[in-house]
Amino acid sequence: MTTLTYKDGIEINQVTRQQITLRGKGDGAFAFAVNKEVSLLPPSDNLRMVDNDRFIFAKQSFDQWVLISKNKKDDQEILRMVSEINKNEAMLASNYSEGQSYFEISGEDKDHYLNKLTHFDFRDKKFPASTMVQTLVARIDCCIYKLEDKYLITCGKSYEDYLRDRLLDAVNL
Amino acid sequence: MTESKIYFKFDGKKYAGNEGDTIAAALLRNNVRLIGRSFKYHRPRGIYTCGIEEPNALVQIINEHNEPNVRATVKKIYEGMIVKSQNRWPSLKTDLGSINNILSPIFSAGFYYKTFMGPKGFWKNVYEPLIRRTAGLGKPPKEFKSKSIHQHHNVDVIIVGGGLSGLLAARKFAGTNYDVLLVEREDAFGGILKNANKIKSINDQPTDEWLEKTERLIRNSNNIKILKNTLVTTYNFSDHLIALEDKNVGKPQDNEKPELVLHKIRTKHTILANGHIERFITFRNNDLPGVMLAASFEKYLNRYSVVPDESPVIFTNNSSTFSLLKSLTDLGHRPKAYVDIRDQKNIEKETLELLEKFSIPFYPKSEVEGCEGQKEVKKVSIRTKKNKISKIKTSMLCVSGGFNPDIHLFTQSKGLLKWDKDHLTFKPDRIFQKTITLGSVSGNFSYEKLLVEVEKKLSEFEGLNELEVKFELNGSEKFQIKELWETKHEKKSIWSKSFIDLQNDVTTKDLRQAVNEGFNRIEHLKRFTTNSMGTDQGKISSINALGIVSKILKKDISEVGTTTYRPPYSPVNFSAIAGRSTYEFYDPERKTPLHSWHVKQNAVFENVGQWKRPWYFKKSEDETMHQAVQREAEQVRKTAGILDGSTLGKIEIKGKDALTFVNLMYTNSFTKMKPKTGRYALMLGEDGMVKDDGIVCKINDQHFIVTTTTGNAASVLAHMEEYSQTEWPNLNVYMNSITEQFATFNLSGPKSRVIMSRVFNDIDFSNDQFPFMSFNNFKYLDTEIRILRASFTGELGYEIYVPPSHALKLWQRFFISSRDFDLVPYGTETMHLLRAEKGYIIVGQDTDGTVTPLDLNLNWMIGKKKKDFIGKRSLTRTDIVRENRKQLVGLVPVDKTLGIEEGQHVIEHKDLSLPIKDPVDMLGHVTSSYFSPNLNHSVAMALIRGGKRKIGSRLFVSTENLNTIAVEVVEPNFIDPKNERMML
Repeated sequence: MTTLTYKDGIEINQVTRQQITLRGKGDGAFAFAVNKEVSLLPPSDNLRMVDNDRFIFAKQSFDQWVLISKNKKDDQEILRMVSEINKNEAMLASNYSEGQSYFEISGEDKDHYLNKLTHFDFRDKKFPASTMVQTLVARIDCCIYKLEDKYLITCGKSYEDYLRDRLLDAVNL
Repeated sequence: MTESKIYFKFDGKKYAGNEGDTIAAALLRNNVRLIGRSFKYHRPRGIYTCGIEEPNALVQIINEHNEPNVRATVKKIYEGMIVKSQNRWPSLKTDLGSINNILSPIFSAGFYYKTFMGPKGFWKNVYEPLIRRTAGLGKPPKEFKSKSIHQHHNVDVIIVGGGLSGLLAARKFAGTNYDVLLVEREDAFGGILKNANKIKSINDQPTDEWLEKTERLIRNSNNIKILKNTLVTTYNFSDHLIALEDKNVGKPQDNEKPELVLHKIRTKHTILANGHIERFITFRNNDLPGVMLAASFEKYLNRYSVVPDESPVIFTNNSSTFSLLKSLTDLGHRPKAYVDIRDQKNIEKETLELLEKFSIPFYPKSEVEGCEGQKEVKKVSIRTKKNKISKIKTSMLCVSGGFNPDIHLFTQSKGLLKWDKDHLTFKPDRIFQKTITLGSVSGNFSYEKLLVEVEKKLSEFEGLNELEVKFELNGSEKFQIKELWETKHEKKSIWSKSFIDLQNDVTTKDLRQAVNEGFNRIEHLKRFTTNSMGTDQGKISSINALGIVSKILKKDISEVGTTTYRPPYSPVNFSAIAGRSTYEFYDPERKTPLHSWHVKQNAVFENVGQWKRPWYFKKSEDETMHQAVQREAEQVRKTAGILDGSTLGKIEIKGKDALTFVNLMYTNSFTKMKPKTGRYALMLGEDGMVKDDGIVCKINDQHFIVTTTTGNAASVLAHMEEYSQTEWPNLNVYMNSITEQFATFNLSGPKSRVIMSRVFNDIDFSNDQFPFMSFNNFKYLDTEIRILRASFTGELGYEIYVPPSHALKLWQRFFISSRDFDLVPYGTETMHLLRAEKGYIIVGQDTDGTVTPLDLNLNWMIGKKKKDFIGKRSLTRTDIVRENRKQLVGLVPVDKTLGIEEGQHVIEHKDLSLPIKDPVDMLGHVTSSYFSPNLNHSVAMALIRGGKRKIGSRLFVSTENLNTIAVEVVEPNFIDPKNERMML
């Protein structure tokens, strides 16, 4: 974890996570294939997420889910999981671990700072804990996962420098 | 109370103002009346209002990057501020441009549209440069690096305006479950309570005390967010407002902090409590410095403690000026005269009492005919009820022509208006969005009715607070007005003018002329005369114009209607609109995992979409692009070169029906293709035109990985998703973009097999084990990589796909392992050159959306036995199989020392008759052209009509200087036509 900024009301850390993007029907076979690996059942509602001590499991759209590790795991373990899940012919698991960058934003003013970069409505009544959203942050396609007291923001790896600079700029201005 | 003095400069002279003064307030404090010159006639202009509606007092702030057209009535002073007047030369007092006033008969309405028609050539060389020089008021600002930011808000309710109505609404919402944003354009709440002497007390407390308590109550509630110094400029559909906050009110700019914040507000309900604007009356020379709106005059008294003049003449057609009369007399000042168009019997009792008490000369049923003076008002000419002219010496005239609800935002929201006969103004009628209007903006000018209105209109909200408010007023609530848009002029001279639009110098004569010329629709008339088209949007005058036009047309004003109110309410700086999307953040940038290495190796980058790709690598400071590209291209064919191909799109496709899906998406057939092999593939649109190309790698029949061009990665994935979801939902197939999960290296050159064997010494790269277009996954350190044998250069080549975290070390390992071969990193320009030598196309360069596979000689890529694929039907259309379609060919200059320019026309004839009068038959154009270091001459590709049949013939290519060069038409494959190098 790299702390990018820490000041009153806001803390931004860049963290290492691993991610598997899943596509499928979300039926019993799908749930079985994933549950076998992560001991979690897929959330059935769009943009909801469930978690355990190892993974966050979020539903991104009607046929797309994402698994994010809470701690860095062995690359081989992730590759093995992808391979295992892909044994189900009717679904696709893709390793996104290195294709994404991960930023954790916490602090009581996090909404204010993020709203310099995105129009998204962070109010609790609109964006409760254990939900996620795919939206634009600093004009980049990002996913925002609302954890208990912080947000996990992910973006494509190629945008990492740009988003990091924009996050810091928003805090500094 | 002692005020701290603040010193600033206006036109080079130092003045002192008080903290909180606007430039206008401070100048009035120093008895400065002349502020600027008018737009067209360069007439002397002063301070007309006390706020955002100001048409005249526009200045340039020299120490803020020469910011032009700043309203002196809004901008607060600070120590060291340098202010300059505008639109005058050589000085404000002596302005040569004022000759325009004498020439005014030729500058009448429509002057711009009727003049400058000839003679030929004058427009470009004379008129336009001249008009550009004289156009505008201020001079353009200097370039500066703005730090303006955007801030988004999501709320349940926005209250626009922190005056009395807005504050009452805010009190209702304080401490409730509603998220509320209260926006006030001034630096303090209060509005009318601070500006005028209308309300004596609220709940038996002085108004200042009530204000203070109310603000504290609102601040202590955790559900109301406050924005001051913030002007709501825009009310969009749906329920989206934009507001501009000035972060530097009363202080100099800090270049490290945002000077402006553009707030973008999404709300459920909008409460407009943005008040009203006083309007003027048109009379002769109503533009002279010293003429000021009555309510503005009172605002200077009450808000800024500035007395613009101790004995002005007051001219009104309504009851509201009682407040000014009281404010002045309370301060011990005595107006020179009180002129009221109304009959004495209709004038309020308390007004008459004050006039009598202070023996103020009173002119009932009279009107101001005009003003005398050169650079400021010296005399006011009054037409009395007996139709006699009486002249009064004075230096200031306060005018009130009634009030307009500030309906700008309401109409932006698409709300409809209606004419209010009692107040002679338009007021909100039907809402289009979730809009609530409160107070004077809704046409309610009564304080007693305000409480009822607030309770009634906010009754739709649950759980709001009860309001317990009691007003004690200084005068009666009765409001009475008599219609008066302009007064009759007595004196006619070139100098005398009656203005309807002060900023654009539009006179009532212009309105009449426009109507006479047939512009009797208000929208046409506005554009013909430029009435209300200035930066003030005619805030104090547009309704007057409607009144005058309605009289000319003999129509009711409601029939004439209003012009369209468009956002923004007031000008918004471009820096605020741009926000942080400037300079280093102009556009999001994508970098490959090897970006830092490229920077260290002096790469010159090319923007490919948002990607930063190495264009070429400079070996030394002196090396030109041409030299670098020639060096790189030569080295690749001599030993080997390596390209960062990470930007290529990569899509993983999997599902029970993946094979069927890929067969439908691409022209090629993949059914018989063996697992772990790849195939160069073409994707077409429904129209049969080439959309993209790439390599399809088959893991098995249920699992593929395809590559796309860099620029089309997102659109190809979207294309696949669309067809999967809408055309073939029956197919079990899913796709993921894995572009960023892998860095990609493209190793090319005769020595690439040796290098690969050195880097991956446990892999057998022999032709038998690793044939052309085969691939496999390999364990590499603690991860997995994929190697594909493919080539985009015509050389023996490999593509290595590696997770980004391992990319840099592996990339460096290639260089360490190939020192004896001088492995060269090459950029996109060299890649383009090398592929052109082989005649390989670039989609988007050698194609343009009108090119089919047949046109590109890629018939072999079409699966003839396939039942269907996207674009198949179109390939049999008559036009598609036409022989003389533009087809891809190669071109080689006959004179090998000459170069061929990309984009030039290909023609049949050598000579172009100059000057070109008749169209030259163009066979096509050059799509790609490079100087090949390996062939030592230029090679080019071109799309030309009937190209295939022209192979072997001689054509001509135009040049920049309208010459031509002779070229041989050849097959588009210049090096190694048998592909022996690739199959090494």
